Amino acid sequence: MINISDLTVRIGQRDILSDINIEIEDGKWTCLVGPNGAGKTTLLKSLLGSMPYSGSITDSGVEVFRNHDRNVAFVPQQPQIPIGMSVSEYVMLGRSKRDGWGNESNQSRNLVADILKLTGLFGMQRQFVSQLSGGEMQRALIARALVQEPTLILLDEPTSALDLHHQIAVLNNIELLKERGVTIISTMHDITLAAMYAEKIVVMQEGKVLLHGTSDFVIHSPELKSAFENRINVYTLDSGRPVIVANKDLTS
Amino acid sequence: MFKVRKVLTKLVIATTAISLLAICPAQAASNLPKRIISLSPSATEILYAIGSGKQVIAVDDLSNYPREAPMTKLSAFNPNVEALLNYKPDLIILNADATKALEVKAALEKLKITVFLEKAPSNLREAYLEITALGRATGKLTGAQNTISEMKSKISAAIRTGKTSKNITFFHELDDTLYTATSDTFIGKVYKDFNLVNVADPAATADSAGYPQLQSEYVIKANPKIIFLSDAQYGESLATLTKRAGWNGISAVKSKNVVALPEDIPSRWGPRLVDFYEFIANAIAKVK
Amino acid sequence: MKKLKSKGEESLLAPIWNWKITALSAALLFFVGILAISFGPVSLGFQEIIRTLFGLPGGLTGQDRTLLIDLRLPRALLAALVGAALATSGAVYQTVFRNPLADPYLLGAAAGAGLGATIAITSAGADLYSLLPIFSFFGAISAVLVSFFISGKFFAEPNSLLLSGIAVGSFATAVQTYLQQRNSSSLRPVYSWILGELTVANWQIVTWSSIYILIALIILFSVSKQLDGLMLTDEEAYSLGINPNKLRVIAVVAATLATATAVSASGLIGFVGIVVPHLVRGITHRVTNRGLLTIALAGATFLVLADLGARTLLSPAELPIGVITAFVGAPFFLVVLRKKRLVSQ
Repeated sequence: MINISDLTVRIGQRDILSDINIEIEDGKWTCLVGPNGAGKTTLLKSLLGSMPYSGSITDSGVEVFRNHDRNVAFVPQQPQIPIGMSVSEYVMLGRSKRDGWGNESNQSRNLVADILKLTGLFGMQRQFVSQLSGGEMQRALIARALVQEPTLILLDEPTSALDLHHQIAVLNNIELLKERGVTIISTMHDITLAAMYAEKIVVMQEGKVLLHGTSDFVIHSPELKSAFENRINVYTLDSGRPVIVANKDLTS
Repeated sequence: MFKVRKVLTKLVIATTAISLLAICPAQAASNLPKRIISLSPSATEILYAIGSGKQVIAVDDLSNYPREAPMTKLSAFNPNVEALLNYKPDLIILNADATKALEVKAALEKLKITVFLEKAPSNLREAYLEITALGRATGKLTGAQNTISEMKSKISAAIRTGKTSKNITFFHELDDTLYTATSDTFIGKVYKDFNLVNVADPAATADSAGYPQLQSEYVIKANPKIIFLSDAQYGESLATLTKRAGWNGISAVKSKNVVALPEDIPSRWGPRLVDFYEFIANAIAKVK
Repeated sequence: MKKLKSKGEESLLAPIWNWKITALSAALLFFVGILAISFGPVSLGFQEIIRTLFGLPGGLTGQDRTLLIDLRLPRALLAALVGAALATSGAVYQTVFRNPLADPYLLGAAAGAGLGATIAITSAGADLYSLLPIFSFFGAISAVLVSFFISGKFFAEPNSLLLSGIAVGSFATAVQTYLQQRNSSSLRPVYSWILGELTVANWQIVTWSSIYILIALIILFSVSKQLDGLMLTDEEAYSLGINPNKLRVIAVVAATLATATAVSASGLIGFVGIVVPHLVRGITHRVTNRGLLTIALAGATFLVLADLGARTLLSPAELPIGVITAFVGAPFFLVVLRKKRLVSQ
């Protein structure tokens, strides 16, 4: 369980996050949604432990700041793409956490090979990472996270730059992590997709948490509509899945 | 009896000779280096003048005088230790202004080669001292002393002819970007011996180390009566000077007192210094 | 790097680094080193050289021996040390700044080192062997920092960083020239220093420069595996167990120390930091920093060969070694520039 209490993150003169108080359950997929500038990425980075904060974030009771005992994978929105590095080498970097840098056991190499097959990248293993398309790059990032075998994975807008076809593929790949019991926290601005895949949703606005709970609860609560100036409609498919669409004809 | 006396005399003479040689072995063969390399054009000229020419096996690529000096591709200013070694020299005359002169000297001495570090003299007296030192180093002290006396008398003669009491101003041009030499330099002192007034002197600053660069307007304003061209070998002459903006108003150009100095004469401080002095004396005679 | 062709399905991935390559480059360096000390205007018997080196009877004596031991050997060693230092610093700068065109020379570090040394000589008449490396180190580090400051942010666009590095380097050189003009009595030692000591290398220079360079290189080799993490974003690196900022500081300081010492010892030699790392990466098809030791060995080999060329191509005159490295390096640099443009679409 990750406990966040009275979290405030200040950068320069501004409070990017203020007074966040939520709990994040292990093994579940929690999605942070909200407009740009709401502080989603900052919250993600705070959960990583690389960023200083005031207040408290604990993971299994231990503060996360600079705590390297945890095995946390981070998938950024825009990764740094190393030039001249092959896909297999890139994915292999994920094993550095468990094996230590520069040591690859045969076991690790087997695992990486398996994951590459699982994510459909095996045939591209010798291609340069810089030559991958957006969707393939995202899959490579997930593959790297998979081989890291983390307990928690943080993903920043994993689907935003992709077409629908790739969005679905990537989200399915992320579900593979859930099968392994990994806690998933992702930011997303497509709430429909968030509701479809995540069990918990946290709605953020201007550095504060507006609303949080199970997906069902959040989607059907009136505060969600007010967060969008009431210009959204929430429909439910036959399967019970909610679909949230913008509707300009509605007045706020 | 007579025979014994003859033998005895010969014996005494022989013994004296041998003992003399024994006492002063330094005066014998070991003070006479037989394989000299000169890496200084001035030193080369001096060596041949004092009589050490036969001991010289190689000279640098700028030592063009005298003609018989064995010129090689060896560089005076970038000496290459290994290349020098290849000639198996026993004495190397190295210019103190050469790149890494001290390090080269150290390396050569490690290889058990004697090095004579030749410093550029700052006046005539130092020049004579250097010549004497070279004479001593090559075992031709007498030759050096003779050369010096000849130089002294010829230079005095030139000065007597040329020395002037009038205020004759001059400009010594080193190159077409108007670098010149002040009276603090060796060249400057040569002109000073004739009481010539160097237009560069007021322009000297603490940084210029005797070789300031003048501006064209400055030279025009200073209006020298004689201009000495050290860059004549690069094409400068009265004709080119006249073409320079504003220069045809300069006294020296108007009265055609522009002297093209022969190649190398102003930059060598060996026996051909005499030629330099005589040249200047002639130039002054034309102005009078 | 050859892929492992296993029987049946190719399920095992190719190793990320094969230490046979490193061993090969060490052997190559040794071979080239022997070659270098065997050639020169004075010809020495090859067998006698080997015998002298291994202390066996029948070796060189007298002047020939002094030539080999006190002139050629320190010179070859110095070339190897400087080559290793410059190549390794180049590779490290490229990783830390995420820029394939980064190189101590181009970031102004080398010119900064020159300026530092000039300040030392013109103001303090400093002792060549003790104070100079410190001044040149601070000069180099300042130049790198200013390059970054000018380009605006720490990981600026590759091209803007390059431009600011060139600007800083030019500025440092200009200030250096000015100082030299103002203190013309110091012109000689400064000029001599800038030209480097390769032409008259001796054991004293080899000793002090090897101390600084080896310390720097050992530090870099020990963090080389983690340097790979700097190729990712800071958060990714952090998640994989690295402290990116601390690592950057260590890497840049060590690399700059190596560069400053190399410049102190050999003057300004360019292009080694660009050519060698890319060459090694191109041949091995790997960009991992595990290759740092190999890059160091390759850099040493490259410069020893370049020095051999400097000594022999125009004998008895000596070509400045920077001319040879530029001759090889400049076209190489252009090739890398083109490839990068194609790859980063």
